[in-house]
Amino acid sequence: MKGLLIKDFRLMKVQKSFFILMFAVGIGQALLSEDASSAIGFPTFIVSLFAISSISYDEFDNGNAFLFSLPITRSGYVAEKYCFGIILGGGVWALSSAVIAIVSIARNTAPVMELLVSTASILPIMLILLAVMIPVQLKFGGEKSRVALLVAYGCIVVLGLAVTKAAEMLDVDLFAMLDRLPVMSLGAVIGCAVLIALLALAVSMGISLAVIKRKQF
Amino acid sequence: MLEINGLVKRYGDFTLDCTMHVEKGRITGLIGQNGAGKSTAFKAVLGLISTDGGTIRIFGKEQGELTVKDRQKIGVVFADSGFSGYLTVSDIVPVLANLYTDFDKAFFLKQAKRFELPLRKKIKEFSTGMKAKLKVLTATASHAKLLLLDEPTVGLDVVARDELLELLREFMEEDEENAILISSHISSDLESLCDDLYMIHSGKIVLHEDTDVLLSDYGLLKVDERQYAGLDRQYLMRVRRGPYGYDCLTNQKRYYMENYPGIAVEKGSIDEVITMMIRGDEV
Repeated sequence: MKGLLIKDFRLMKVQKSFFILMFAVGIGQALLSEDASSAIGFPTFIVSLFAISSISYDEFDNGNAFLFSLPITRSGYVAEKYCFGIILGGGVWALSSAVIAIVSIARNTAPVMELLVSTASILPIMLILLAVMIPVQLKFGGEKSRVALLVAYGCIVVLGLAVTKAAEMLDVDLFAMLDRLPVMSLGAVIGCAVLIALLALAVSMGISLAVIKRKQF
Repeated sequence: MLEINGLVKRYGDFTLDCTMHVEKGRITGLIGQNGAGKSTAFKAVLGLISTDGGTIRIFGKEQGELTVKDRQKIGVVFADSGFSGYLTVSDIVPVLANLYTDFDKAFFLKQAKRFELPLRKKIKEFSTGMKAKLKVLTATASHAKLLLLDEPTVGLDVVARDELLELLREFMEEDEENAILISSHISSDLESLCDDLYMIHSGKIVLHEDTDVLLSDYGLLKVDERQYAGLDRQYLMRVRRGPYGYDCLTNQKRYYMENYPGIAVEKGSIDEVITMMIRGDEV
């Protein structure tokens, strides 16, 4: 796996200027914006998605035929993509969180609790993003995956509308139902979110493995 | 070293059906036209595609049972696939060093210098010859035991081709048990390099022969109608009717030279043997 990780990190050099720009935007947001979550979230999501781009780079010019003739396994390849995404996303998340924390402490502005919540809420979203994007990219490739994601998004919107309409027709108040749910502490909510994200990652990895094992190069 | 027995792969109307063996210490050639099934055979050997029948054994193991360690002993070249063009030679050195426990960095860098491969230039900016040399160098720099080379010389000029073939000879000299399976649609590449040759056409192996035998015993008889009528046909493999008579492919050239001194016998070049095996009629 280490060899593949090195390859992907070396490929990142191609988009060096893009990442420098991302870093500058992140720093700019940290210094100028009061909104900690966007200052942490934006660079975290964008950079972690390079794991998806790296799959496109592998596929480009029939590169997979050679790549999978190297001494690697298909499951090792899939594991490496998740690791790569988590290292990138996690790394940028930690870095941008540290920058935001330093700026906040220096300014003595944001309450520590709010900052912690903003920071902690980004991580599960980033993991779920990877959990959705990696198998879609492996299955459909660069071009078709965009269409697949749009279709999936459309399906979710239609499903949401259908549920709302059905609730209206049955005279059920969904918001009142949500309000009646037992109140959870913030820590528990974040804990649950991380747990759900990890579960999503495990399911996603299973799907990716099934996809890659059926692939022909 | 490599045994392919009754391998079947179907793609629509095309069916690959082949049996081939690559022995230790030998360079085996696979020659055939574009689309004959050479790349499909290589991909099946490497487990890159599923198969519809047959068995593939490498180093005495079923293809699916090969470990990462086993795969480190196989060097691979594809004409149309390689490391990302966005990487440089310097980038792939640590990648190879971490993928192969026996990667010989000093050898790799020495050969890269010998072949004048720039270390910091993107591979996509390399010439065809430079890309081909890098691919073969990558395949040979980890003390592999078996090289699987699919059209490694395609698009190369004569000088680059010679340099590349020289690298393969050096690989064979490294260990007397090393073996190579190399494909090409250019017969001259294989004629000077291979110990034995498989000829493939429309997914089927039409001939397997030692290169020495092919060049010394195979011949093309040029006969007219009368000569053809009186010809002993037991050593004829294929016959093709031409404007002035018949072209007959034999694997016993000397027999006809001695017994039919009046007929013209031409040396059977690999190209002629292939043409006759594909276009000629069975006797």
